[in-house]
Amino acid sequence: MNNATDRQSGAGRGLIAISLFLSSVLAACQSSPTPDQMTRTAVETAPADLQLICANAAAQSRGVDTATVLPTSSRKLDARTYQVQLNASGTTMNCVVDDQGMVSSVTAA
Amino acid sequence: MMIAVGVGFSTIALAAGTQVYNPQTRTWSNYDRTAAYRYYRQHKQVPEPFRMQVVKFRTAEKPGTIIIDGNQHFLYLVQPGQQAIRYGIGVGREGFGWAGIVRVGRTAEWPTWTPPAEMVARDPNAAKWAGGQPGGPDNPLGARALYLYEGDQDTIYRIHGTPEPWTMGLDVSSGCIRMVNDDIIDLHARVQVGAKVIVLMQGAALYKGV
Repeated sequence: MNNATDRQSGAGRGLIAISLFLSSVLAACQSSPTPDQMTRTAVETAPADLQLICANAAAQSRGVDTATVLPTSSRKLDARTYQVQLNASGTTMNCVVDDQGMVSSVTAA
Repeated sequence: MMIAVGVGFSTIALAAGTQVYNPQTRTWSNYDRTAAYRYYRQHKQVPEPFRMQVVKFRTAEKPGTIIIDGNQHFLYLVQPGQQAIRYGIGVGREGFGWAGIVRVGRTAEWPTWTPPAEMVARDPNAAKWAGGQPGGPDNPLGARALYLYEGDQDTIYRIHGTPEPWTMGLDVSSGCIRMVNDDIIDLHARVQVGAKVIVLMQGAALYKGV
């Protein structure tokens, strides 16, 4: 009985040691954000330049001045893509842009 | 033209929920008014991401254009070569955020602050300055002010300095954009009257100039 308990206890300590080792390895692999990215907010909006790239694309697609198109909201779709909603003189439009600034679609909402 | 619209993925005002990364502990921590004040007292400056710095900025906007990201608490001044100077800012608290496309109508050094009538009515500290508080280190507008206009009309909103530099990264104002005094002095020296100002603020209910 005691031997069984000892074996279980030893196995438990082994698992804890492995867990600690793995977590330390994983922590070492996590990269720190660059100094300009050391802040974040609860709602992850698209970077300002990508929002304005979308506004520019929407203005071109409608043939209007960029001063009449304003990004009103945005969200991250996946690791590299954002959706930006735009107000184009009262008309709502949606734009999808990647983190390199490539616009893949501009559509009326 | 001023219009109030309710569009977007969500029409509710979005709480900032700002977090700042500590490279020593490799952890993210909440950045509220108390944490911001504590950090400023310890370091005599705001956290690194809210300090003036040159960043990559892909845009078709002309150099000299000001772009304000109210959600992330950054003001960008567009530079040549797909770059911008980025400054940390404090913005309007919940219910006081706005978005739009306006312009710099005029600027002032050590501006006089005149509280609006409703503030005079509710706040005894403001009431004593009903006739205008002269410029100086205790003036809420700080060292410089850029007055934002919609066409030829003053919007009542300003980009200005502040005697409370620890409030960068927070939603604290009544709709004005506040900056550390050294930053607004730098921005003021670089900006031309007439410069385009684009204000992005997700969840804002008030839109100007579009």
